[in-house]
Amino acid sequence: MIQFECPSCQKRYQVGDELAGKQAKCRDCGQVMPIPAAAEVAEEDPVILASLAAPPSPRSSAKTLFGTTPELSYEISQRPDFALVSIKLQAGGKILSEPSAMVSMTPSVKLEAGLKGGLGKTFGKLLGGESMITNTFTAENESGEIMFAGGSAGDVAYQRLEGQTLYLQRGAYMLNTEGVEVTGKWQGAKGFFGGEGLVLLKASGVGDLFFNSYGAILEVDVKDGFIVDSGYIVAFEESLDYHVTVLPGLRTGGKIKSLFFGGEGLVCEFSGAGRVWIQTRQVRSFLSWSNAFRPAKSN
Amino acid sequence: MQYEFLSRPAMTAAKLTLDAGESITCEVGAMIAMSRGFTVETTSRNKGGSGGFVKGLKRMFAGENFFLNHFTATNHAQSLIIGPAMLGDIIHYPMTGGTLVVQGSSWLASSSGVEIDATFQGIGKALFSGEGIFWVKCSGTGDLMLNSFGAIHCVEVNGEYVVDSGHIVAFEDTLEFHLGKAGKSLIGSFLGGEGLVCKFSGQGKLYFQSHNPPSFGKLLGPKLKPH
Repeated sequence: MIQFECPSCQKRYQVGDELAGKQAKCRDCGQVMPIPAAAEVAEEDPVILASLAAPPSPRSSAKTLFGTTPELSYEISQRPDFALVSIKLQAGGKILSEPSAMVSMTPSVKLEAGLKGGLGKTFGKLLGGESMITNTFTAENESGEIMFAGGSAGDVAYQRLEGQTLYLQRGAYMLNTEGVEVTGKWQGAKGFFGGEGLVLLKASGVGDLFFNSYGAILEVDVKDGFIVDSGYIVAFEESLDYHVTVLPGLRTGGKIKSLFFGGEGLVCEFSGAGRVWIQTRQVRSFLSWSNAFRPAKSN
Repeated sequence: MQYEFLSRPAMTAAKLTLDAGESITCEVGAMIAMSRGFTVETTSRNKGGSGGFVKGLKRMFAGENFFLNHFTATNHAQSLIIGPAMLGDIIHYPMTGGTLVVQGSSWLASSSGVEIDATFQGIGKALFSGEGIFWVKCSGTGDLMLNSFGAIHCVEVNGEYVVDSGHIVAFEDTLEFHLGKAGKSLIGSFLGGEGLVCKFSGQGKLYFQSHNPPSFGKLLGPKLKPH
């Protein structure tokens, strides 16, 4: 038996010795790879033998996302841990980003920083946990490529907007094309009780939208209702109704128990039809863990 | 119950699918998202089990929360997505009547047939290891979900094996363990940064993690604003 891993997605395979040297295509990610010669396992090393004997673990099947739209072509690679977005613009093409998301770019791309969309919108974005400054990247005389990444380790999701509206959680906004308008939206008590700030970002229009998270992003198509811990929501479509509540079973008489002891706090219950994007980790949990290691102030 | 791991290995979340009447107990705060057909109960003990307050208190010492959340499906094919706080992986361990000793912060969830008990291994050991040697003892039958900080690795120990105590995720209680020094001399062990290690003997599965939360915490600590 030959054991090997896909060099792209690390899926493990086991094939017969007769296939050594042949080409194989990964079932998960499509990567074409040569099958290595049968490896010799040193019998005197019990640790290596033991780890091979353990059941092979299914690895991440996260795929590179890519596509072409009227505005640009994109590729999101290295998902979900260290998502890297490559944007290719035609001459004259433009993309707007949050500050400091740019990793690299070709010399044909010009960067301009400024307040976009007037003071009102800018202020709304600020409330939505985003910077007032928007960076505009323009491929001036020839096509160009720009690479972007989020501030923390994590994933990037893409959504094409064709007139529908998406709500983004604080800090999730990353990139958009000119046809998409991103503003802050007052959510009143709804947002407040969710514990995640008062304002959601609202993205609408026609164009491309990219947003990021700490942790991997899971897409859920809601049909029969769905409950998400408010701290794990990245984005959701406007077609969904949502309300902030406590976990079912703790609704009557158990509210206090749930809030203060149950730790799950308040959750968002979605109903209707539409998509929700959720993240698998929270910066807040990491921060509260690291808080235990803060030094005490010395006098 | 069916389970599926998503976004492995660093950002892993577990998607559990439960049928009506099936129940799972989770670490408080582990729930990311779920279908509507669940009722949730917060208690300080195993579902329907005994122990109550004292066991809750023991769990708190074991680095776990005092309270546990029990999710019971009220309809068929209800899904629950859970994940740990830290970056890392999740594994499934099938309980078949044996006992697994799990490091306090690595226990994520277990199905209702699994009894969870915090056992205290003796203060001398805890002090010397400096890693908070508190363990959660899991027994019974059912499914157990464990999480790790970093990658998770399994070794089938047959004979003796040595692991740095901060890296242990879980081990089968068919293994005996005692704390010892990594090198020949005590000073040499500490200078080498390995401190005291766990020496296992016997036969059984041992799970450990690639990264050690206390080490990472010590790295971060001095850079954080004092309080």
